[in-house]
Amino acid sequence: MKGFQAQEKTGIIEIDRKTCKGCDSCKAFCPTDAIEGKYGAIHKIDGEKCVSCGQCLINCPFGAPQDTVDVVDQVIDKLKNKQVTVVGTIAPAVRVAIGEEFGMEPGSLVTEKLYGAMKEAGFKVLDTNFTADQTIMEEGMELIAKIRHYALGEPTAHHLGPLPQFTSCCPAWVTYAELYYPELLPHMSSAKSPMMMAGALGKTYGAAEIWQVAPADVFMVGIMPCTAKKFEASRPEFHSAAHYWQTQGQSGDYPDIDVVLTTRDLARLFKKLNINVRTVAEYSDQDNPLAQYSGAATIFANTGGVMEAALRTAYFVITGTELDVLEFKPVRGLQGVKEAAVTLKDAKTGSAVTLNVAVAHGTKQNVKPLLDEVQAGKSPYHFIEIMNCPGGCVNGGGQPINPMGTSWLDKAKAVLPWA
Amino acid sequence: MARYDYVEKAVKVTRREFLGIVGVAGAVLWTGAYVATDLVQDRTKYIKMRAQGIYKDDEKAKIRQSHNNQAVTDVYKKFAHNPLSHLAEELFHTN
Repeated sequence: MKGFQAQEKTGIIEIDRKTCKGCDSCKAFCPTDAIEGKYGAIHKIDGEKCVSCGQCLINCPFGAPQDTVDVVDQVIDKLKNKQVTVVGTIAPAVRVAIGEEFGMEPGSLVTEKLYGAMKEAGFKVLDTNFTADQTIMEEGMELIAKIRHYALGEPTAHHLGPLPQFTSCCPAWVTYAELYYPELLPHMSSAKSPMMMAGALGKTYGAAEIWQVAPADVFMVGIMPCTAKKFEASRPEFHSAAHYWQTQGQSGDYPDIDVVLTTRDLARLFKKLNINVRTVAEYSDQDNPLAQYSGAATIFANTGGVMEAALRTAYFVITGTELDVLEFKPVRGLQGVKEAAVTLKDAKTGSAVTLNVAVAHGTKQNVKPLLDEVQAGKSPYHFIEIMNCPGGCVNGGGQPINPMGTSWLDKAKAVLPWA
Repeated sequence: MARYDYVEKAVKVTRREFLGIVGVAGAVLWTGAYVATDLVQDRTKYIKMRAQGIYKDDEKAKIRQSHNNQAVTDVYKKFAHNPLSHLAEELFHTN
């Protein structure tokens, strides 16, 4: 098994010995069987196996697994420091969940209120949705280059990985592949996740063109529905902006994304600053180019969303016309593995190519059979979207622990008026 | 002087009482089972509610395809040239 590198954050999720009842519920949700301990005994997480997805945390009936990385006070200090430009990059799934921490119904879409709260707290916004659009441009073009080369026989200037191509947005999935299917890594899209693109873009284009500050004074905060993003941000390979500025004659080294707050962490930060998302003044960051996003970007939060977004663009780029109906129903919904075939007529050559795609979510049940198929060289697909958490990022390990979920304690709180 | 005899009352349950007790016990067990399945159903329910919120965001968006996001096009025009350019590879891809 491949070891972790020195700077990487491990042990992001730990089980509190005092709270754990040894009930084994968590084991049903752990995608990598990383939880040790017999039924009735206190459980422990094996850090070498854990992908930091936090599914145990949001599904434990007693709230025993804990997120050990707490940077809320550090971010508040940065917000108070006038020298620092604090930029929040907000993942799509945060805007339909943070309201729950302020007493709103699950699924309440609060983009404008969230922007308002961010503004009041002193953040600048580079919406992760903006870089989700950019991810489609990079990852989609990579896929299209592969299709043009392998299916339409066009020569290529780039080095292209093999088909099928896997999406690379989900850090828990990337870690899972690195640990358990390293031989499939050439299939992984080389595009960074939207959060890591936001880090690199914010400290280059953002710093120079938009905020006009020194890149070293930009403090990028990933605001994510995900605990594994804390691991991803700490990976030493993500110092691209600093390396870019070094080629431009500047010195200094800093990570692209400095810290990550989960949806729960952001709600705590707002509460510490006395900001209530429910009542805050709405704000639509219209003049901010880095807060512009398309519908394709926002659906990244759902299982099937990256695929649907990629198809909208791939269809246009290959056929030269826009899709008539944008909703691509076969990849929607909570079925374990979803598949679809789309026939595209290449505008350049006139030849038709049928694109076979698959979408899987929930590593525990649905991902392994697809990977084994690829490993055996029998996969019929060109493009496979994988998200670790059941349902996608909307159900990520950094989201509010929902009283409607499997947490019995919170369930009691929701049902009993005095609790 | 005790004027009465203490006789322990035999624990006897009539058929009618027995049915009552079984009914109550059954209801308690059934509630437990109901809560357990209800929990998993609820989990799916809130995933769906959040997913609907996201699809609503897509439906109300003025622009619905990534390649039509003008601000992203600007990034390429002013800075990164085009997708998969040398600079784009350096900043937006891993190697």
